[in-house]
Amino acid sequence: MHILILLLYILLLFTVVMLHVAYATYFERKIIGHMQVRMGPMEVGWHGLLQPIADGIKCFFKEDIIPENVDPLGFRLAPVVSLTAMVASLAVLPFAPGWVLADIDIGLLFVFAMSGLAGYGVILAGWASNSKFSFLGGLRSMAQVISYEIALGLSLVGVMLLSGSLNLSTIVEAQGGTFGGMYIFPQFIAFGVFFVAMLAETNRVPFDLPEAEAELVSGYSTEYSGMRYAIFFMAEYVGMLVMSSLGTICFFGGWSGPFAVPYFPALWFVLKVYAFMFVFIWIRATMPRYRYDQLMELGWKWLIPLALANIVLTAVCKALF
Amino acid sequence: MQIQYKKKRNLLQNLFLSELVQGMWLTLRRLFTKPITLQYPHEQPNVRRGFRGQHALVRDPETHTTRCVGCMKCVMVCPSRCIRIRIQKRPEHGNRRFISAYHIDALRCVYCGYCAEVCPVNAIILTEVFAYSAFDRKSLSYDMPQLLDNWDRYLAEQGEDLAQYVNPTWRPRGLPEGPMPAGKRLPVPDDWKGKGQVVGRLWRQSVQGQNR
Repeated sequence: MHILILLLYILLLFTVVMLHVAYATYFERKIIGHMQVRMGPMEVGWHGLLQPIADGIKCFFKEDIIPENVDPLGFRLAPVVSLTAMVASLAVLPFAPGWVLADIDIGLLFVFAMSGLAGYGVILAGWASNSKFSFLGGLRSMAQVISYEIALGLSLVGVMLLSGSLNLSTIVEAQGGTFGGMYIFPQFIAFGVFFVAMLAETNRVPFDLPEAEAELVSGYSTEYSGMRYAIFFMAEYVGMLVMSSLGTICFFGGWSGPFAVPYFPALWFVLKVYAFMFVFIWIRATMPRYRYDQLMELGWKWLIPLALANIVLTAVCKALF
Repeated sequence: MQIQYKKKRNLLQNLFLSELVQGMWLTLRRLFTKPITLQYPHEQPNVRRGFRGQHALVRDPETHTTRCVGCMKCVMVCPSRCIRIRIQKRPEHGNRRFISAYHIDALRCVYCGYCAEVCPVNAIILTEVFAYSAFDRKSLSYDMPQLLDNWDRYLAEQGEDLAQYVNPTWRPRGLPEGPMPAGKRLPVPDDWKGKGQVVGRLWRQSVQGQNR
């Protein structure tokens, strides 16, 4: 019985997140459109509101094309690995007090592990596609994910030190539910590092080198089409949602807000996550892409030392006061 | 010429990424402006006189056929060579040329408007009609009756009289009137000829700016 309820919860979470993912694409297209003084999708439904559904149906019913010279197993496996790893990290995210599938004590580590694993999907796609564009995209993605994973992990060590836990619910509770208690204030350096690393980790502009259209066609997903491509796309957006949630939980006090909302305690959490998503999209509409060596330089020469300095600073402050 | 570069950023500006903030501010402001998109099939664009669209041969109200005199200037000037004309001479009419076929391949046309500009009798015209796609090549290769029909449809749509009608492709704006053939010296508003001509929106704006 317990397992059945859990399965129901999982199904509910998955459905809700997938709907959010679908509408995140709509949100992105609309916002980027208006930032470029266009309109974005307008045709399907009122102001294009049904566009994501139409896209989903279209992708689902497209012909399943597997190029001749690919490695069939790796090619089929890669999108699944990407999406599964990303979706798995949803399990530990607390959306509201008690609204969490697995309230485990290594929540933060689990999210890191899963976002690291998602990189395997990308490099597997690059390798299995047997195409130079995919291969270069996969290599770049791997190098990028490895270097920024370190900065991402180190930037959150300060948060761990302050809250004394890796459990995400405990981290939110440690921030006390007040405005001044949010870890963005004592951990502003960590937040800066986290934010940049988060962009790089999710392969978003200005760090979207793995799928740099101008030079790599579509990077690791060049050979993919139809539903498999859509799965990569979903994985990217779930990744964005997960990283936004992580930022919200670790720096902006998670579900706590100015007043409690009856019946839907996750409202503040969702609003904060969507503010994060908006910034993601806003940056995409504004920034040019980094050059590859600049990307590595930023990661290794600036973000990692900054994050390390922040750890030392936090630890010293915590020991003294 | 002195090139005005941006001022060099100081350390504080570099540290707080002032350039990035400026860029982000620009895109955020654009988010709240009105989009310039024209939702085409739902909204029709305001096509101005002088737009070079579908071809037509002007039907002369007196003879009910084309005004073309078969001078072949349009054929010679056409850069894509999409015009073909067959002329005849009839012994009873002396040296006068008769057009037995006038053919335009709209798929080869580059819409430069040279043919209309060079025509001494204003016989050919590029109308403002732009939505005339077809499913086969044949129906976009116009012969003379089709071209005359195009003109009839266009004139009925515009609701204008041929006596007053003048098209900028016939009499390009800003050309001096003197060297033009008699047929091209049509009565036009003052801003079409000489100093009063209007070349374009940017030109007009710059003139307004200078007066201020």
